[in-house]
Amino acid sequence: MKVLDIQGLSFAYEDGTVALKDVSLSLEKGDKVAIVGPNGAGKSTLLHLIAGFRTPFSGTVVIDEKRLDEKSADSLRMRIGLLFQDPEDQVFMPTVKEDVAFGPRNLKMDDIDLRIARALSTAGIEGLANRKTHKLSFGMKKRTALAGVLAMDPSLLLLDEPTAGLDPRARADLISLLKEMDKTMLIATHDIEAVAEVADRALVLNIGVVARGTMRELVMDREVFRQAGLEMPPISKLFEVLKVMGYTITELPVSMDQAVCELTKVIEEGGSHTHAHIHEHDHSKASDTHPHTNVNRVHRAR
Amino acid sequence: MGSVGFWRKELRIGLQDDRAESTWLGRLDARAKLVGILIFVIACAILTAPELVYASLVISLGISAVSSLRPAYLIASYAAALPFILLAAFSVTITVGWDRGALMIARTSACVLALIVLVGTTSSFDLFAGLRRLGVPKVLTTLSLLVQKYIGLLGQELSRMTTARKARGFRGGKSLLDKYALRVISNTAGMVFVRSAGRADRAYEGLKSRGFDGDLVGWRQTRIKSGDLAFLSVLAAVSISLLALQAGLIA
Repeated sequence: MKVLDIQGLSFAYEDGTVALKDVSLSLEKGDKVAIVGPNGAGKSTLLHLIAGFRTPFSGTVVIDEKRLDEKSADSLRMRIGLLFQDPEDQVFMPTVKEDVAFGPRNLKMDDIDLRIARALSTAGIEGLANRKTHKLSFGMKKRTALAGVLAMDPSLLLLDEPTAGLDPRARADLISLLKEMDKTMLIATHDIEAVAEVADRALVLNIGVVARGTMRELVMDREVFRQAGLEMPPISKLFEVLKVMGYTITELPVSMDQAVCELTKVIEEGGSHTHAHIHEHDHSKASDTHPHTNVNRVHRAR
Repeated sequence: MGSVGFWRKELRIGLQDDRAESTWLGRLDARAKLVGILIFVIACAILTAPELVYASLVISLGISAVSSLRPAYLIASYAAALPFILLAAFSVTITVGWDRGALMIARTSACVLALIVLVGTTSSFDLFAGLRRLGVPKVLTTLSLLVQKYIGLLGQELSRMTTARKARGFRGGKSLLDKYALRVISNTAGMVFVRSAGRADRAYEGLKSRGFDGDLVGWRQTRIKSGDLAFLSVLAAVSISLLALQAGLIA
C-alpha cells in the first residue's frame, strides 16, 4: 500500500524562485527513504509541501490514497509527523509530558496517557517526562519533538535534518532510534553516513531529482555526487583508496557497519589476512619510492 | 554594563522568578492566586482613607515578604513600574496636592507589588491557563501566549545579532551623533523583525502540524486543593475587611 505518491511535483515561491521541478517519488508502508542534496536543493520545501504548508503547486501529492490540496491539507496533516530541523520551532509546552500530549489532546485522541508513555519510551526519554522543556539540551529537545510527533501515531514521518546540531553521542543514539523504528519515513539530510544506516534507498535532489537508488549505489556514481554538490563520506573515500591499491571492493561502503562487512569480505575472499605498518623514510635516494604513499604501505600476506 | 546585565537577568521575558516554582506560593493553583490577588488589587484601588491605603501597602509588602521571591527580583520588577507610578502620582500632586500624590504612590505600589507576586510565582503558561479556565476567551489567552513567544523570539534574535555585531568589532551606539552606528543599529532592528517573522512562521507551522485548533491551554488540568482555598479565603477576607472599614461597617 502506498503511503505517499508524488508525481510531477513542481513548486515556485511567490518571488518566482523555482524550489522543486518535476519531482516524483513513492513510499510504500514501512519504507525509509532519504533525500540528500546541497543547501537550497528543495529538501525542506518538499517536506513542508507534503505536510500541506506550501501551496499552490503543480503535479499530484497523494497521502494514504487521498489527494493533497488546500482543502485537504489540514486533515491530511494529521496523518503526517513532521519533525522540524530546529526543535525550538516545535516544542511549546512547559513540560516534556505536556508537550508530548499537545498533539493528541488537540486531536482529541483516545488513551492519551498510554500514547504519551509509548512515545516517551520510543524516543528514549521516559525519565524526562516532568522536566521543563526550556531547560533541556538541544538533543533532548529534539527527542521531545520526536516524541510529540510519535504520540500522534502518524502514518508517515517527515524528518528534516534530524541529526543537525547534535553532538556525536546524541547523533548516534538518534540514528539507532530511527533504525529500530517501524515507521514509514522520508528523511531530508546532508548527513549521508547517518541515512545510509537508516534508509533503504535515497534520492539525490537538486531542485529536480538527480538520481535515485541505495546510498551505496549513489556513492559509486561520483559524477552524481559532484553534480549535486555533495561530498563522499570519509569511509567511502577510504575504501576508494583501498580499491586503487588493488583490493577488490565491489561496492563502496557508506556507513561503518557496511565498511566492516566489506572489509571482512575482502579478507575472507583472499583467504588471507591484512596488516598494515607505518615506517619512516625519506626520498633522498631515487630508488626509495613507493607506489602509493611515502609513509604508509599496506601489505597483503598469503 | 553591570546594571544592564542586572536588568536583563531580572526582567527577562517570561517574568517568573525561576526559584519561585518550588515555594508554597509557586505551587498554588493559578486560578486561586489570580482570583485572590485580583480581589485584593480591586480593593486597594477603591480605598481612599489614607490609613487604609497605607495598611494595604503594608499587607502587600507582607505578601511579598512571605512569597519567597528574591529581593533583587522584587526590586527590579518594582523599579520597572516605578516611572508609571511616579507619573500617576505627579499628575495627582499638581492637581490636588502632595498628600494625595503620596497616597497615589502608596495605592499603586500596593497593587503593583501584589501583581509582581502573582506574576513572579506563576509561569506565564499557568497564568494564561488559569485565566482560560476562569472563562477568559481562548482568543485572548492564546494570543497573549503567542505574543509572549514572539517577543521571546525577538529577544533571542536581537541577542544573537548584538553578539554577532560585537564579535565583528562594532563598538558604536554610544552617541546619537554617530551616523554610522545609527545606520548599523537601524539595519539590525530591521533584520531582527525579518528574522523573527521567519521564525514565527515556522513556529506557527509547528503548531499547525500538531493539530493546533486555536487553544493552547484549554485542556490544562489541575485541581483546587485546600491550600489554594485557604490562600484565596485569607486574601478575600482581608480585602473585604479593608472595604468594610472604609465603609464604616466595622468600627
